[in-house]
Amino acid sequence: MNAAIRITVNGMPEEVPPSATLAELIVRFQEMDRDLIVEHNGRFVFPQDYASIQVAPNDRVEFIHPNFGG
Amino acid sequence: MRRSRPGVSRNERSMLTEEESRRYSRQVALPEIGIEGQLRLTAGRVMVVGLGGLGSIAAYYLAAAGVGYLKLIDRDRVALENLNRQILHTTFDLDRPKTESAAEKLGRLNPHCRIEAVHTTIEEGNAAALLADCAVIFDATDNREARQVLNRASLRRHAPFVFGGISGWEGMASTFIPGRSACFSCLFPPQAEAIESAPPPALGPTACIVASIQCLETLRLLIGAPPQLAGRLLRFSGLTMEFRTLQIDRNPGCPVCGVPQRHSSP
Repeated sequence: MNAAIRITVNGMPEEVPPSATLAELIVRFQEMDRDLIVEHNGRFVFPQDYASIQVAPNDRVEFIHPNFGG
Repeated sequence: MRRSRPGVSRNERSMLTEEESRRYSRQVALPEIGIEGQLRLTAGRVMVVGLGGLGSIAAYYLAAAGVGYLKLIDRDRVALENLNRQILHTTFDLDRPKTESAAEKLGRLNPHCRIEAVHTTIEEGNAAALLADCAVIFDATDNREARQVLNRASLRRHAPFVFGGISGWEGMASTFIPGRSACFSCLFPPQAEAIESAPPPALGPTACIVASIQCLETLRLLIGAPPQLAGRLLRFSGLTMEFRTLQIDRNPGCPVCGVPQRHSSP
């Protein structure tokens, strides 16, 4: 059986399916902002890599929404 | 002969006047600036786009610091809901073009700073021409599309683009150096359609913090010090009182700066 793994999303502990991709997590956590910035284990992830990068136990994912006001 | 540097005009002077020496003495005292750096600021040419919350701080501090030439661009008139944060403008300025209000205040603050105020909308058709006599872009706009325009002008003219944005308690800043660091579109790929959205909440001190960071970067660029936010996104939260930075590499798939280099993923 594929047991859920524990990761940290926006500073909060979360359980997600093993091998979930960043693209899947964006949908799961309802972070569909066209200007979303994704930080994975402290690294900026290019949007074209969201579908191929999978998370592992204890990973840290931050969804950052842009600030475009002035 | 001084070698040609970004942000520095050709008719660079070799001395400060007595009045300037006193006016700028507290910053000339910094070893990183000194008289040499101050002369570089005096010869510096910056395009400030937007005279709202960020632009108010930018225009004041850059003029006060003795930047020799500021081209100020804004399309709006002063409105009542601006005055909680846009400290360049006052209640007496309501309905005046922000460019006019700004030019008046800055002229009083520092008559050594040459101000060119352009009451217009920055767009694809005029951005590169407006930038032609400036060497640094100070982004104080309030939307993503204007920033895409500035980004393309930055790359075309090889002018550094000092980005800042705010939303309520939060803000972010980064510096895009054409050909050397990520560009705005590496971070935010252009979209086919602009989406109209309500303006975000805005708080004066947040704008002040972000614009002040942009000012420090701009002054660094003008004096010839390396920018500290090239390839880094700085984020500030006034809710947690935390600053965080994220390393931003050039995106090999960027449709705008199109980096011909290999992508190394972790």
